[in-house]
Amino acid sequence: MQFQKEVEILAPREKVWRFIWDVDRFIACVPGCKEAKTIEEGKRYAATMVEKVGPFKVEFPTTIEVLEREELTRIKAQASGADNKIGSRMKLDLDVSLREQGDKTVLGFVAGVDILGKLAALGHGIIKRKADQVLDEFAQAVKAKLEGEG
Amino acid sequence: MLRRFRLEEPESVAEVSELLGRFGESAKIYAGGTELLLAMKEGLVQYERLINVKKLTGLSGVKLAGAAVEVGALSTHHQLEDSPVLKEKLPALVKLEQNVANVRVRQAGTLGGNLCFAEPHADPGTLLIALGAKMVAEKASSKREIAAEDFLVDAYETALEPDEVLTKIHVPVPAASGRSAYLKFGYLERPSVGVAVAFNLNGAVSGVRIAVGCAGPAPRRVPEAEALLEGKSRDEALGRIAEAGAIAGKASQAISDLHGSQEYKEHIVGVLLKRAFQSALS
Repeated sequence: MQFQKEVEILAPREKVWRFIWDVDRFIACVPGCKEAKTIEEGKRYAATMVEKVGPFKVEFPTTIEVLEREELTRIKAQASGADNKIGSRMKLDLDVSLREQGDKTVLGFVAGVDILGKLAALGHGIIKRKADQVLDEFAQAVKAKLEGEG
Repeated sequence: MLRRFRLEEPESVAEVSELLGRFGESAKIYAGGTELLLAMKEGLVQYERLINVKKLTGLSGVKLAGAAVEVGALSTHHQLEDSPVLKEKLPALVKLEQNVANVRVRQAGTLGGNLCFAEPHADPGTLLIALGAKMVAEKASSKREIAAEDFLVDAYETALEPDEVLTKIHVPVPAASGRSAYLKFGYLERPSVGVAVAFNLNGAVSGVRIAVGCAGPAPRRVPEAEALLEGKSRDEALGRIAEAGAIAGKASQAISDLHGSQEYKEHIVGVLLKRAFQSALS
């Protein structure tokens, strides 16, 4: 499943960039994400993703690995996790880009999400919609947080 | 494999509500079990407690209650196929029930369970929206009615509060001039698209209600399509049905999946709406 999203933030690029690397504040913007930990500064992180569709609940302990980092411009990361209770795995390829536009910063995401295992029985459409919602809420939360700080 | 769980056997709706309130997300109502047990066997959901409601009395069967047909939430699909009251007052619902899933599901599965599980590809919700049905939700100390279109909120989500129990479904008895139909289409086990239409025919078409289901996360009423047909003569309405179908297709929030692409489902909504309208007219 491929997702693309762009959000315009009324804040300088440096500030957005710093925010992304401030794990605790950044993670607070990811819906369903908890217990974020830095394993190796700038390289490896761990978190638990909890998502729900009606009565179906998954909990993925996830490791996030930063693969590429281009100062103030781009981050490429990969995340993967498994819910052993339900027997499902999640893989996420994330490409984050920052670009200046006047006094705004355009934060772009390209995400490739793969869900494997029993959870897939819920149907591709339902999962795609959920993932889309999560990404949307996340983008809005980042915007609200950065712009709210003035 | 099914994991261990505790079976609660309450004797009243108030007791069911109390158990739901007490155990929260670790407990679930068990009626027919046709959806729930499959999901539990697959390991997709786990509950510590199942609250068996099968033995509750007074929640099954169909009767006339004033201007509405009252359907007990525990009525099985099979009971509804066979109900003389439904056959007389709501033949479109009987036809729908005759074609729900397969004979095993119809014997065990209940209408209330079907609605509460809110599986996106279920049939009854769509027609119940078109028929203007109301869901009766009860707690130990309160009771409220929820319009069918507000009840089905999203995929697998209803408007029920955690400790509310769906006890009855009230379907208004259609006027003598009332017409309705539900049509579905699919090539997998569950339908890809379901479309329902209901209206009165007195020279002109009035009180039009259109609902689409299965294509998207939850069935939806389509007021824009209804408005196109409202108050029109039979022929005028038929002339506008393709346009209404296109609107309904967009409103279905169709999702591309194994049941078909978004465009395909939107197209089928149009085809089915036309056929359902013609079938209700004839």
